[in-house]
Amino acid sequence: MSGNDVELLTRLLAGEQQAFRELVATYQGAMRAVAYAIVGSRNADEVVQDAWLAVVRNLEGFQQRSSLKTWLLTITANTAKTRLKHNRREVLLDDLPGPHGSVGGERFAADGHWQTPPNAWHEDSPEALLSEEELRQCLEKTLASLSEMQASVLLLRERQGLELEEICNLLELSLSNVRVLLHRARLKVFATLEHFEETGQC
Amino acid sequence: MLSCKELVAHSSDYLDGQLSLRERLGVRAHLAMCRHCRRFIRQMKVTQGVLRKLPDAAIPELDVLAERLAEQRNQSRQD
Repeated sequence: MSGNDVELLTRLLAGEQQAFRELVATYQGAMRAVAYAIVGSRNADEVVQDAWLAVVRNLEGFQQRSSLKTWLLTITANTAKTRLKHNRREVLLDDLPGPHGSVGGERFAADGHWQTPPNAWHEDSPEALLSEEELRQCLEKTLASLSEMQASVLLLRERQGLELEEICNLLELSLSNVRVLLHRARLKVFATLEHFEETGQC
Repeated sequence: MLSCKELVAHSSDYLDGQLSLRERLGVRAHLAMCRHCRRFIRQMKVTQGVLRKLPDAAIPELDVLAERLAEQRNQSRQD
Protein backbone atom coordinates (compact mmCIF):
# COMPACT_ATOMS: atom_id res chain seq x y z
CA MET A 1 0.00 0.00 0.00
CA SER A 2 1.18 3.51 -0.74
CA GLY A 3 1.65 6.17 1.92
CA ASN A 4 -1.47 7.93 0.67
CA ASP A 5 -3.48 4.73 1.09
CA VAL A 6 -2.21 4.28 4.65
CA GLU A 7 -3.12 7.82 5.58
CA LEU A 8 -6.54 7.58 3.97
CA LEU A 9 -7.23 4.24 5.61
CA THR A 10 -6.44 5.65 9.03
CA ARG A 11 -8.96 8.43 8.49
CA LEU A 12 -11.55 5.98 7.15
CA LEU A 13 -11.16 3.77 10.18
CA ALA A 14 -11.71 6.84 12.35
CA GLY A 15 -15.00 7.39 10.51
CA GLU A 16 -14.05 10.76 9.05
CA GLN A 17 -16.69 11.85 6.56
CA GLN A 18 -14.27 13.82 4.37
CA ALA A 19 -12.15 10.69 3.99
CA PHE A 20 -15.15 8.76 2.69
CA ARG A 21 -15.87 11.60 0.30
CA GLU A 22 -12.33 11.35 -1.09
CA LEU A 23 -12.61 7.58 -1.34
CA VAL A 24 -15.87 7.71 -3.28
CA ALA A 25 -14.71 10.57 -5.53
CA THR A 26 -11.49 8.73 -6.40
CA TYR A 27 -12.72 5.20 -6.92
CA GLN A 28 -16.41 5.26 -7.80
CA GLY A 29 -15.67 5.57 -11.55
CA ALA A 30 -13.47 2.48 -11.61
CA MET A 31 -15.94 0.55 -9.45
CA ARG A 32 -18.76 1.45 -11.78
CA ALA A 33 -16.76 0.28 -14.80
CA VAL A 34 -16.20 -3.11 -13.15
CA ALA A 35 -19.87 -3.44 -12.17
CA TYR A 36 -20.99 -2.33 -15.63
CA ALA A 37 -18.90 -5.03 -17.30
CA ILE A 38 -20.27 -7.81 -15.12
CA VAL A 39 -23.93 -6.98 -14.53
CA GLY A 40 -24.70 -4.45 -17.28
CA SER A 41 -26.01 -0.91 -17.10
CA ARG A 42 -29.32 -1.75 -15.45
CA ASN A 43 -27.81 -3.11 -12.24
CA ALA A 44 -24.43 -1.40 -12.14
CA ASP A 45 -25.40 1.43 -9.81
CA GLU A 46 -27.03 -0.91 -7.34
CA VAL A 47 -23.98 -3.15 -7.31
CA VAL A 48 -21.74 -0.16 -6.61
CA GLN A 49 -23.97 0.88 -3.70
CA ASP A 50 -23.83 -2.65 -2.28
CA ALA A 51 -20.08 -2.76 -2.79
CA TRP A 52 -19.63 0.45 -0.80
CA LEU A 53 -21.56 -1.02 2.09
CA ALA A 54 -19.41 -4.15 1.93
CA VAL A 55 -16.32 -1.95 1.93
CA VAL A 56 -17.40 -0.21 5.12
CA ARG A 57 -18.33 -3.50 6.76
CA ASN A 58 -14.95 -5.00 5.95
CA LEU A 59 -12.74 -1.99 6.47
CA GLU A 60 -11.38 -3.35 9.73
CA GLY A 61 -10.34 -6.61 8.08
CA PHE A 62 -8.57 -5.03 5.11
CA GLN A 63 -5.23 -6.82 5.07
CA GLN A 64 -3.25 -4.08 3.33
CA ARG A 65 -1.48 -6.62 1.17
CA SER A 66 -2.96 -5.06 -1.96
CA SER A 67 -3.58 -1.43 -2.79
CA LEU A 68 -6.82 0.13 -1.64
CA LYS A 69 -7.88 0.39 -5.28
CA THR A 70 -7.33 -3.30 -5.99
CA TRP A 71 -9.21 -4.21 -2.82
CA LEU A 72 -12.18 -1.98 -3.71
CA LEU A 73 -12.35 -3.32 -7.26
CA THR A 74 -12.16 -6.92 -6.05
CA ILE A 75 -15.06 -6.31 -3.65
CA THR A 76 -17.01 -4.70 -6.48
CA ALA A 77 -16.35 -7.61 -8.84
CA ASN A 78 -17.36 -10.12 -6.16
CA THR A 79 -20.52 -8.18 -5.34
CA ALA A 80 -21.40 -8.06 -9.03
CA LYS A 81 -20.73 -11.77 -9.52
CA THR A 82 -22.90 -12.64 -6.52
CA ARG A 83 -25.66 -10.55 -8.04
CA LEU A 84 -25.28 -12.29 -11.33
CA LYS A 85 -25.25 -15.77 -9.74
CA HIS A 86 -25.91 -17.66 -12.92
CA ASN A 87 -25.36 -17.48 -16.66
CA ARG A 88 -22.70 -15.02 -17.49
CA ARG A 89 -24.34 -12.81 -20.05
CA GLU A 90 -23.23 -13.51 -23.58
CA VAL A 91 -21.92 -10.09 -24.39
CA LEU A 92 -18.23 -10.75 -24.28
CA LEU A 93 -17.06 -9.97 -27.75
CA ASP A 94 -20.09 -8.53 -29.44
CA ASP A 95 -19.05 -5.81 -31.75
CA LEU A 96 -21.65 -3.26 -32.72
CA PRO A 97 -20.53 -0.62 -35.17
CA GLY A 98 -19.47 2.67 -33.60
CA PRO A 99 -21.21 5.79 -34.90
CA HIS A 100 -18.16 6.61 -37.00
CA GLY A 101 -17.07 3.09 -37.80
CA SER A 102 -13.64 1.76 -37.02
CA VAL A 103 -10.40 1.23 -38.91
CA GLY A 104 -11.53 -1.77 -40.91
CA GLY A 105 -10.40 -3.85 -43.83
CA GLU A 106 -11.82 -1.37 -46.35
CA ARG A 107 -9.02 1.03 -45.48
CA PHE A 108 -6.41 -1.32 -46.95
CA ALA A 109 -5.52 -2.49 -50.45
CA ALA A 110 -5.25 -6.18 -51.28
CA ASP A 111 -1.51 -6.13 -50.51
CA GLY A 112 -2.23 -4.84 -46.98
CA HIS A 113 -0.98 -1.28 -47.53
CA TRP A 114 -3.09 1.73 -46.73
CA GLN A 115 -5.67 2.59 -49.35
CA THR A 116 -7.15 5.39 -47.25
CA PRO A 117 -4.31 6.42 -44.94
CA PRO A 118 -4.97 8.53 -41.88
CA ASN A 119 -4.96 12.27 -42.56
CA ALA A 120 -3.13 14.78 -40.40
CA TRP A 121 -5.36 16.11 -37.65
CA HIS A 122 -5.75 19.83 -37.14
CA GLU A 123 -5.20 19.41 -33.47
CA ASP A 124 -3.00 16.72 -32.11
CA SER A 125 -2.90 17.38 -28.42
CA PRO A 126 -5.59 15.81 -26.25
CA GLU A 127 -6.15 19.14 -24.49
CA ALA A 128 -6.77 21.02 -27.76
CA LEU A 129 -9.11 18.32 -29.03
CA LEU A 130 -11.08 18.27 -25.79
CA SER A 131 -11.52 22.03 -25.81
CA GLU A 132 -14.22 21.43 -28.46
CA GLU A 133 -17.51 20.91 -26.68
CA GLU A 134 -19.00 19.22 -29.71
CA LEU A 135 -16.22 16.66 -29.83
CA ARG A 136 -16.66 15.88 -26.13
CA GLN A 137 -20.33 15.15 -26.73
CA CYS A 138 -19.46 13.11 -29.80
CA LEU A 139 -17.04 10.99 -27.75
CA GLU A 140 -19.73 10.41 -25.14
CA LYS A 141 -21.92 9.02 -27.91
CA THR A 142 -19.16 6.75 -29.13
CA LEU A 143 -18.46 5.46 -25.61
CA ALA A 144 -22.18 4.85 -25.11
CA SER A 145 -22.25 2.84 -28.33
CA LEU A 146 -19.58 0.40 -27.15
CA SER A 147 -20.65 -2.92 -25.69
CA GLU A 148 -20.55 -3.00 -21.89
CA MET A 149 -17.41 -5.12 -21.88
CA GLN A 150 -15.64 -2.96 -24.43
CA ALA A 151 -16.50 0.24 -22.59
CA SER A 152 -15.43 -1.15 -19.24
CA VAL A 153 -12.15 -2.57 -20.47
CA LEU A 154 -11.37 0.71 -22.22
CA LEU A 155 -12.16 2.80 -19.16
CA LEU A 156 -10.29 0.53 -16.75
CA ARG A 157 -7.22 0.59 -18.97
CA GLU A 158 -7.11 4.17 -20.20
CA ARG A 159 -8.73 6.11 -17.41
CA GLN A 160 -7.95 3.98 -14.39
CA GLY A 161 -4.55 2.80 -15.56
CA LEU A 162 -5.10 -0.86 -14.66
CA GLU A 163 -2.71 -3.46 -16.02
CA LEU A 164 -4.22 -5.89 -18.53
CA GLU A 165 -3.70 -8.76 -16.08
CA GLU A 166 -5.69 -6.93 -13.39
CA ILE A 167 -8.55 -6.43 -15.83
CA CYS A 168 -8.46 -10.15 -16.74
CA ASN A 169 -8.67 -11.13 -13.08
CA LEU A 170 -11.45 -8.73 -12.17
CA LEU A 171 -13.66 -9.50 -15.14
CA GLU A 172 -12.66 -13.17 -15.51
CA LEU A 173 -11.66 -12.69 -19.12
CA SER A 174 -8.72 -14.22 -20.93
CA LEU A 175 -5.83 -11.94 -21.81
CA SER A 176 -6.54 -12.38 -25.51
CA ASN A 177 -10.16 -11.32 -25.00
CA VAL A 178 -9.11 -8.22 -23.09
CA ARG A 179 -6.64 -7.34 -25.84
CA VAL A 180 -9.26 -7.74 -28.56
CA LEU A 181 -11.90 -5.74 -26.66
CA LEU A 182 -9.45 -2.96 -25.94
CA HIS A 183 -8.21 -2.76 -29.52
CA ARG A 184 -11.69 -2.66 -31.06
CA ALA A 185 -12.81 0.00 -28.61
CA ARG A 186 -9.76 2.15 -29.27
CA LEU A 187 -10.24 1.94 -33.03
CA LYS A 188 -13.82 3.15 -32.68
CA VAL A 189 -12.74 6.11 -30.60
CA PHE A 190 -9.96 6.75 -33.11
CA ALA A 191 -12.53 6.74 -35.93
CA THR A 192 -14.64 9.31 -34.07
CA LEU A 193 -11.66 11.64 -33.63
CA GLU A 194 -10.66 11.16 -37.25
CA HIS A 195 -14.17 11.87 -38.49
CA PHE A 196 -14.40 14.99 -36.37
CA GLU A 197 -11.01 16.24 -37.53
CA GLU A 198 -11.99 15.71 -41.16
CA THR A 199 -15.49 17.13 -41.09
CA GLY A 200 -15.56 19.36 -38.02
CA GLN A 201 -18.78 17.59 -37.07
CA CYS A 202 -19.88 14.67 -35.02
CA MET B 1 7.84 -7.58 -43.37
CA LEU B 2 4.58 -6.51 -41.73
CA SER B 3 1.90 -5.00 -43.90
CA CYS B 4 0.16 -1.78 -42.81
CA LYS B 5 -2.99 -3.77 -42.10
CA GLU B 6 -1.05 -6.10 -39.80
CA LEU B 7 0.61 -3.18 -38.11
CA VAL B 8 -2.79 -1.66 -37.33
CA ALA B 9 -3.96 -5.03 -36.00
CA HIS B 10 -0.94 -5.11 -33.67
CA SER B 11 -1.08 -1.45 -32.70
CA SER B 12 -2.85 -1.80 -29.34
CA ASP B 13 -0.57 -4.63 -28.29
CA TYR B 14 2.39 -2.49 -29.31
CA LEU B 15 1.12 0.42 -27.20
CA ASP B 16 0.38 -1.86 -24.25
CA GLY B 17 3.78 -3.59 -24.37
CA GLN B 18 2.18 -6.95 -25.19
CA LEU B 19 4.41 -7.89 -28.14
CA SER B 20 7.36 -10.24 -28.07
CA LEU B 21 10.75 -8.75 -28.80
CA ARG B 22 10.66 -10.09 -32.34
CA GLU B 23 7.19 -8.67 -33.00
CA ARG B 24 8.19 -5.33 -31.49
CA LEU B 25 11.23 -5.12 -33.72
CA GLY B 26 9.00 -5.93 -36.70
CA VAL B 27 6.68 -3.05 -35.80
CA ARG B 28 9.62 -0.67 -35.34
CA ALA B 29 11.14 -1.67 -38.70
CA HIS B 30 7.81 -1.04 -40.41
CA LEU B 31 7.36 2.32 -38.67
CA ALA B 32 10.84 3.41 -39.74
CA MET B 33 9.76 3.04 -43.35
CA CYS B 34 6.07 3.97 -43.38
CA ARG B 35 4.91 7.49 -42.65
CA HIS B 36 1.23 6.55 -42.80
CA CYS B 37 1.67 4.05 -40.02
CA ARG B 38 3.84 6.47 -38.03
CA ARG B 39 0.96 8.91 -38.23
CA PHE B 40 -1.52 6.20 -37.29
CA ILE B 41 0.44 5.23 -34.17
CA ARG B 42 0.88 8.88 -33.23
CA GLN B 43 -2.85 9.45 -33.55
CA MET B 44 -3.61 6.29 -31.57
CA LYS B 45 -1.49 7.78 -28.77
CA VAL B 46 -3.46 11.02 -29.04
CA THR B 47 -6.64 8.92 -28.83
CA GLN B 48 -5.37 7.37 -25.61
CA GLY B 49 -4.51 10.83 -24.28
CA VAL B 50 -7.99 12.08 -25.09
CA LEU B 51 -9.58 9.18 -23.21
CA ARG B 52 -7.35 9.80 -20.20
CA LYS B 53 -8.21 13.47 -20.10
CA LEU B 54 -11.95 13.28 -20.66
CA PRO B 55 -13.61 15.05 -17.75
CA ASP B 56 -15.06 12.71 -15.13
CA ALA B 57 -18.79 12.38 -14.88
CA ALA B 58 -20.07 13.96 -11.68
CA ILE B 59 -20.99 11.48 -8.98
CA PRO B 60 -24.60 12.09 -8.02
CA GLU B 61 -25.11 12.61 -4.29
CA LEU B 62 -21.43 12.25 -3.46
CA ASP B 63 -21.85 14.04 -0.13
CA VAL B 64 -24.95 12.08 0.85
CA LEU B 65 -23.19 8.80 0.13
CA ALA B 66 -20.03 9.84 1.99
CA GLU B 67 -22.11 10.87 5.00
CA ARG B 68 -23.97 7.57 5.01
CA LEU B 69 -20.77 5.52 4.77
CA ALA B 70 -19.10 7.51 7.56
CA GLU B 71 -22.18 7.00 9.73
CA GLN B 72 -22.12 3.27 9.14
CA ARG B 73 -18.47 3.10 9.98
CA ASN B 74 -19.01 5.01 13.19
CA GLN B 75 -21.92 2.79 14.13
CA SER B 76 -19.87 -0.37 13.64
CA ARG B 77 -17.08 1.12 15.77
CA GLN B 78 -19.54 1.56 18.64
CA ASP B 79 -20.96 -1.97 18.34
